[in-house]
Amino acid sequence: MAGGKKLTKEEELLLQDFSRNVSTKSSALFYGNAFIVSAIPTWLFWRIHQVDLFQSQSIVMFVIMTLISSWLVAFAYKNVKFVLKHKVAPKREDAVTKEVMKKLSDADSKKMSRKEKDERILWKKNEVADYEATTFSIFYNNALFLLLVLFMSFFALKSQDPNINYILSVALSAGLLALLSTGQK
Amino acid sequence: MKAALFIAFACLVALSSAQDGAKLLASKTLLNQWLVEGRDMTVLYTIYNVGSSAASQVVLNDESFAESDFAVVSGQLKVQWDRISPASNVTHAVILQPLKNGFYNVTHATVTYVPSEGSEARTAYTSAPGKAGVVAVKDYDRRFSPHYMDWAAFAVMTIAPIGIPFLLWFRSKSKYEALSFKTKKH
Amino acid sequence: MASILQATFVCVFLAVFAPHFSLAESCIGASFNSKTYTTTDGALSTETVFLVEFQLSCKNKISNIFLNAEVDGKQIPVSRSGDNKYQVSWTAEHKKAPSGTYSVCIYDEEGFSALRKALRTGEESKVKPLITVPVDHPGVSKGPWVSTEIIATGIAGLVWYAAFATKKSIQS
Repeated sequence: MAGGKKLTKEEELLLQDFSRNVSTKSSALFYGNAFIVSAIPTWLFWRIHQVDLFQSQSIVMFVIMTLISSWLVAFAYKNVKFVLKHKVAPKREDAVTKEVMKKLSDADSKKMSRKEKDERILWKKNEVADYEATTFSIFYNNALFLLLVLFMSFFALKSQDPNINYILSVALSAGLLALLSTGQK
Repeated sequence: MKAALFIAFACLVALSSAQDGAKLLASKTLLNQWLVEGRDMTVLYTIYNVGSSAASQVVLNDESFAESDFAVVSGQLKVQWDRISPASNVTHAVILQPLKNGFYNVTHATVTYVPSEGSEARTAYTSAPGKAGVVAVKDYDRRFSPHYMDWAAFAVMTIAPIGIPFLLWFRSKSKYEALSFKTKKH
Repeated sequence: MASILQATFVCVFLAVFAPHFSLAESCIGASFNSKTYTTTDGALSTETVFLVEFQLSCKNKISNIFLNAEVDGKQIPVSRSGDNKYQVSWTAEHKKAPSGTYSVCIYDEEGFSALRKALRTGEESKVKPLITVPVDHPGVSKGPWVSTEIIATGIAGLVWYAAFATKKSIQS
């Protein structure tokens, strides 16, 4: 309840709300997810496009492309999340207020100042919006990434050599995903 | 296919000199869209008797498929018919499997027959299918195999990265939308 | 002199080959072993091939007789390879070769000429075949109607579209 603590919280809120920076925890979540989804095309190219996986060249190619793709996909996650968070937050205002009020016991409610309650609601709203924007952004980008990879590798670049097909499909899909994520305001 | 056969037939007719007795013309064709390493390949022989009498002791012998390159699945590469009537034809099929990929020159088979009773045996050659490219099984699979199991595994792999974030988002959304709905009702 | 030689040659020829042409001998108590092959991969082959190999044995020990086959009204001369080993093969378009069991009726010469006579006069044939070889044809598979990658991409497209529509509604 000290004044100093209040300030840091507000600062934190401001930071979370207006910058594209994400916490280490959600950053790890983004990179982990991006890595998993970027590794999936390896299966398609190994099993269906019949790229020889157990050749040192192929392994290097798969590892490098998976890493590049992870970085681009994570970039797209962050951008889409940032855009969505601002849209989700006002929609959750009512519900979050209700939830916070219900959780506070009568005694707590009386003890707390109006400002403190607002702050708590604001903080909770921010948390909910962050959570929903993060999960939806991962869902949306994963779906789009896999669609792009399938389309590129089985249709657009079908006649290419499988190795070139892999490099181009993954690079173009992840690149396009990153590009599309910056276009939305 | 039919036109090609007809042309081959016409050429053979033109080449053959007018002789009495049976006259056999033979074609050898591959009934495959693709020749694939380790997959069945059909060789069809058709022998026409364009002569005036029946041919006897007709022996079809194909030695053009080296044992090291082709395995016989079904049918015989050397067969005989006791008689082929004039103005009729016989067909014979053999199923083989190419053992290796690459290009092969598929040459003709021979047909020996006795054109009329008492005359000497005559030798004729079937048409030759010519150069045949055998595709590696890996390349064929890449283009044509449905890969059901591989796609099923792919589907399973994609369920987690798409399904989990969706469910988490959906649960949160449903929870707060329900709350918000109740609030408005009040 | 030449004519005598020729006559002798003909006589010898007939003596040697006459048994092959003889119509008198017929197979009694025929039994057989058969091995059949039919095309199943429609993507690979242009036509369906039916191939029947069988070995005939007769109780009266006659061998290497000339046989004809009849399937679905089609008459096919039977080829022979080695002792009592025979082969019948024919082709049909994939569409005209539905799955099922085909009966290949094998006739000796006597039976076959009787069958042809019956067919010419349009009578119901009363000739019994020497043997009947059943051929099971499982049918040709042309592979899936739509390729799996189209299905996969289609599903991915639908999922993405649903996601996109949801995103639009969130952003509105």
